[in-house]
Amino acid sequence: MSLRQLLLRLPGYFGASAPPRRLWWSPSLDTIFSVVSWRGQSSRSPAHWNQVVSEAEKIVGYPTSFMSLRCLLSDELSNIAMQVRKLVGTQHPLLTTARGLVHDSQNNLQLRGLVVLLISKAAGPSSVDASCQNYDMVSGIYSCQRSLAEITELIHTALLVHRGIVNLNELQSTDGPLKDMQFGNKIAILSGDFLLANACNGLALLQNTKVVELLASALMDLVQGVYHENSTSAKENRITDDIGISTWKEQTFLSHGALLAKSCQAAMELAKHDAEVQDMAFQYGKHMAMSHKINSDLQPFIKEKTSDSLTFNLNSAPVVLHQEFLGRDLWIKQIGEAQEKGRLDYAKLMCFSCHKGQSGHTGTFEHILNGKFYLYINLEFAQSTCR
Amino acid sequence: MASRWWRWRHGCSWKPEARSLGSGCPGRAGPSGPRAAAAAADVTRAQVSYFNLVKSLTSAFPIMYSISRFHHTTPAACCCSKTRSGERYTDPFKLGWRDLKGLYEDIRKELFISTTELKEMSEYYFDGKGKAFRPIIVVLMARACNIHHNNSRDVQASQRTIALIAEMIHTASLVHDDVIDHASSRRGKHTVNKIWGEKKAVLAGDLILSAASMALARTGNTTVISILTQVIEDLVRGEFLQLGSKENENERFAHYLEKTFKKTASLIANSCKAVSVLGCPDPVVHEIAYQYGRNVGIAFQLIDDVLDFTSCSDQMGKPTSADLKLGLATGPVLFACQQFPEMNAMIMRRFSLPGDVDRARQYVLQSDGVQQTTYLAQRYSHEAVREISKLRPSPEREALIQLSEIVLTRDK
Repeated sequence: MSLRQLLLRLPGYFGASAPPRRLWWSPSLDTIFSVVSWRGQSSRSPAHWNQVVSEAEKIVGYPTSFMSLRCLLSDELSNIAMQVRKLVGTQHPLLTTARGLVHDSQNNLQLRGLVVLLISKAAGPSSVDASCQNYDMVSGIYSCQRSLAEITELIHTALLVHRGIVNLNELQSTDGPLKDMQFGNKIAILSGDFLLANACNGLALLQNTKVVELLASALMDLVQGVYHENSTSAKENRITDDIGISTWKEQTFLSHGALLAKSCQAAMELAKHDAEVQDMAFQYGKHMAMSHKINSDLQPFIKEKTSDSLTFNLNSAPVVLHQEFLGRDLWIKQIGEAQEKGRLDYAKLMCFSCHKGQSGHTGTFEHILNGKFYLYINLEFAQSTCR
Repeated sequence: MASRWWRWRHGCSWKPEARSLGSGCPGRAGPSGPRAAAAAADVTRAQVSYFNLVKSLTSAFPIMYSISRFHHTTPAACCCSKTRSGERYTDPFKLGWRDLKGLYEDIRKELFISTTELKEMSEYYFDGKGKAFRPIIVVLMARACNIHHNNSRDVQASQRTIALIAEMIHTASLVHDDVIDHASSRRGKHTVNKIWGEKKAVLAGDLILSAASMALARTGNTTVISILTQVIEDLVRGEFLQLGSKENENERFAHYLEKTFKKTASLIANSCKAVSVLGCPDPVVHEIAYQYGRNVGIAFQLIDDVLDFTSCSDQMGKPTSADLKLGLATGPVLFACQQFPEMNAMIMRRFSLPGDVDRARQYVLQSDGVQQTTYLAQRYSHEAVREISKLRPSPEREALIQLSEIVLTRDK
């Protein structure tokens, strides 16, 4: 099925209106749409996702995986890979992070870099400011934009690694020897800092202070976002936060949206596009990241219940919506009902959130829908502005 | 200055010989001259392979002369100083603080975010109790360079921002270092990781770093941004250098000096260079500023390593023998190892066996490790003074000269 057909069918499936008309398609725009539409079609096979990603990678000119790892693997002095190897056999979270980074799984962690490259190519050179004409351009993307994509991945990976630090005074005997955890923490901090240092150096090389400011503020947002995540997960998801969906949106913007949004904006700045285009790129990145998060939050609720070990984050979007609908007290009561001998029965809890009022589930679908249509609209504006 | 000298005498246990060449000290000036000079020459010959990073002074005698000259810091003994201007002696800290009023308030403004606890953690060390050594050097250097360039008595706003940024980068690295070293106290109070846990402490460090980057971006000067991002990389590489170790003795010392530069001196050197870039277009001045910062930074760290052996924990605000307990072989240890080769095994296993730390400490205090490290620090300090003296005379230049001496004589 071609992409265009897919897009025509998609809104009908969700009962919404037809997609906006387009004047001109570029292959990169196609790919952006396919990435977007895959988000909604969660029943799509991993094979399709991989296909979409490889098409995207062809458009931007090279495989974007391992972007942020190059500096880690090649740097003699740091030799981080060697240090991480010492952690094999321990239970430090860094090992899981490292595995996830190297393993090419469905949750393609290189998404941000790829999106930045695609949007750079889609926007093309600025029609307003011709000062970039002398810049290096390969496959329609400036080398500074490629560098920016890499920096984005570096920042993302750095915070991913820093998320995996362990609180030493909360360790149980099942976590293994203290020494291992201490060493793991040390390597995690240093690796994360090393990635951040590389990102900062890369930013300095771009010789554009506005871009540095954008990415630095994205980092600040990301740190705050991760902080919120940590605060909730510290309680092992047993008790949920008393937050409504708008607070959830703010926090998710910080932890997921800000980086991609500001990177896309920065990519436009590098090509000297005007404020309107930059804003469109920002909105695109923001909604892209948000819908990605919402989609992953939805997974436990819409997958076929084949696995016994079902768990979900009690601060994910559907649950937050459900809580907002029900009211906090009733929700706490439901949690209480679903708990047996201190352990939470997630399956039971899911029935509550899915059936009682259907609020959580459909509410989130609407958000994905809204997200995607915002994306379509923004892209059309962006594209028509560029041409 | 005299009161400080009295504090040395009655304060902690050990002082290096050369310090007592102050004007108020009896019986040390003349007779010890030739002996110390000979010792200096011996040291020079023995350590020449280690000192390849130091621009050595050509003969031992000028070293002795310059040590006595620069330790005459009371106003009465000013006669030998040609470089000093006619102005009254002032405390460099007071001089620097004139420009740094509101330093901590401004840093807190940079850290203004909505998440209360995270903000509290990030502001924890910006309470005004730190030495603010780096910002002082930065603003004094800024003034010295401005005066050298066009006799301007102003400090540009962007130069003052560099002072803020330097302090923020330094603090961010401290927060992370405390988590890495499982430190429980610093500056006389609990560390961030002790109070709030490791996870949040790491994020607080990241936040301070990102705030510093934003402030840096707002200076609008791409050269300055490049200079200071180099610091961030050096800080991390310095930590990695500390993780690894070298088997060869000669390599060990070069490794130690390189680590010292990256972890401590790079920030000071590059901040000085950054303010000089903002104040003056002459690359010679930039190099002077950089070399001053580099030499002062290394001297500072060397004395810090000495104080880890010689001072008591109340004064330092952090526990001592800390470096040994972390398995780190610093200057005094490396020098002591020459006299006591049995220390080699302990160094290689990073003092991990029980009793290693105490035995190593004993060896160091018995040997002349401390003395030699102090001597090395003096050489770096004099090199710094030599560099900064190339600038046009000004109160700030004198203050910087004094600072490089204070680095040698501090006791905490």
